[in-house]
Amino acid sequence: MENNATPRISELELMATKIRRNVLDICMQRGGYAGQGVALADIAACLYFDEMRADDNNWYHDRFVLSNGHDAIMTYGALAEQGAYSMEELRSYNADGTKIDQSPIEGQLGFEITAGSLGQGPSQAAGIAYAERLKGTDKRIYCLFSDGELQEGNVWEAAMFAGHQQLSNLVYIIDNNDLQATGATKDVLGVEPVPEKFESFGFAAKRINGNSIAEILTAFEQARNTTDKPFVIVCDTLLFAGVDCIQAVLPNAHYVAKASADWQAGLQELDEKLSRFSANQQ
Amino acid sequence: MLLTTEPAIDKAPFDHISFDLCSRRKDVMLMSADLSKYTQIVRVKKELPDQHLDVGMAEQNLISVAAGVSKAGYVPIATTFACYATRRAYDQMLICMGTSPHTNVVIGFTPGIANPARIHHQAAEDLGMIRAIPNATVIDPMDVTDFKQALDVAVDTPGLVYLRGHRGDTPVLLDDSKFKFELGKTYALHTGNDNRNGIGIIATGHATQWALEASGLLQERGIEHSVLHVPTIKPVNEIEVSDYCFAHGQIVTIENHNIVTGLGSLVTEIVSNIGRGPRITRLGIPDVWAPGGTLPYIRSQLALDAPALAKKIEAIGNGE
Repeated sequence: MENNATPRISELELMATKIRRNVLDICMQRGGYAGQGVALADIAACLYFDEMRADDNNWYHDRFVLSNGHDAIMTYGALAEQGAYSMEELRSYNADGTKIDQSPIEGQLGFEITAGSLGQGPSQAAGIAYAERLKGTDKRIYCLFSDGELQEGNVWEAAMFAGHQQLSNLVYIIDNNDLQATGATKDVLGVEPVPEKFESFGFAAKRINGNSIAEILTAFEQARNTTDKPFVIVCDTLLFAGVDCIQAVLPNAHYVAKASADWQAGLQELDEKLSRFSANQQ
Repeated sequence: MLLTTEPAIDKAPFDHISFDLCSRRKDVMLMSADLSKYTQIVRVKKELPDQHLDVGMAEQNLISVAAGVSKAGYVPIATTFACYATRRAYDQMLICMGTSPHTNVVIGFTPGIANPARIHHQAAEDLGMIRAIPNATVIDPMDVTDFKQALDVAVDTPGLVYLRGHRGDTPVLLDDSKFKFELGKTYALHTGNDNRNGIGIIATGHATQWALEASGLLQERGIEHSVLHVPTIKPVNEIEVSDYCFAHGQIVTIENHNIVTGLGSLVTEIVSNIGRGPRITRLGIPDVWAPGGTLPYIRSQLALDAPALAKKIEAIGNGE
């Protein structure tokens, strides 16, 4: 991984396109959480290939905590580009007996906690941030969770703790797609206004378009420059953002069965984008 | 290994146990959820403030923040009442700690009926809940010596380690120079002369104190029996337990816990796996809501006071 030079936005957009393609390639085998993986590709590109610093072992100095386990597909798509996983092994995602869990257990490469029981990531990330600060390290802790997850009380216990402790090394990233398992978040149990709620718990907050590389990079920079409180980035995203042909058909698919998407059309759309990137670089 | 002198009463065991441990182990992080005063954490808070973290009255956060702390090189000891650690934050214990390779210690204070308040503050089911978590370690120490030594072992044991804690007037029954806590090991505290025709009493935690009180009365009456202390509920040495059971004509288990899923259930499972074992009578909280009040009062209401226990055991010996 080359994290030393700050990539240009176009480089990160290229990376996000590759991640989207990986997500489709993985999910087309047996189905999966493709919509979320595609929607989070821009955040993943910025996080894994720009924001988090490298260590000396071809890994990351900073720490990423995935709370909503089903968004592991985003991490798989990114870590395939990082080199930690091969696409061959990732294609066993969702297969019986696979080591590529849809919602991984702590210890699997790239996954700091056992995610999937929603609401528990923000607390664990806060615990890591508290302990890293106490040790005197400069590690920054990033935790991704979802808007539906905000309905879990544990999230707000964590927010109260992080705000009280002024954990400025902690960044919460919320995938705010207004969708949860059984419908629109605003219909099931509304969570807005999310930034204001976190601000009242002692956070600095910023709402962005989670599919804009430029806005994501700016938000991360603001988080780094905030030295007296934790930071939350509320990322408004759309399922399947960046793969228009599937998004038009499946705009609200929490889970995508193998048979329900035209995966080949999605791959073709992304391959055409990749070709244009290639042409522009020449 | 039992002290032969009148037992000393330690009025605040966890204060010095925690301070001694944190003084020796700078990687230990003692954690509270607004109950440090009631679990008697005083000196660590005052003299080693970097090693104490209070997350406020939020037990799910206590357990999950502790799990995070463990992932950054510390050994957390999350402390609260047993009912809150287990019932309020069970999923966090199971997921955040139970699936982690890192050491995560949880101490549940005032377990069973060792709380004067009623159902909401008592924890009659905590041992059963935690022993149902794969790879978890569950310890129910009997006195100050056992508690101190078990905690020393706990902080070096990988994964989730759940201990029941003692607070307030706690006896020192075991001789620290002769007793050595080992995970899984069982301890013979009284040995009879004729096991085959006697009753084997198996107890754990606070209830081992109760068993020893009943044992004193039984010895006065010449009732043949022995007493085995089983501090480790999981992973217990099943061979030691089964050998003890099959050496006796009858077995009585005594626990400060619901007789469903606790020590009695554990012993029954071990013996039934072998088959044709002795009769086992499980004494403890008899699957009812326990009353509140002083511990002597609650014990008397549940027939767990020493005279009631001795009477019951004698009756069992007489074939009732």
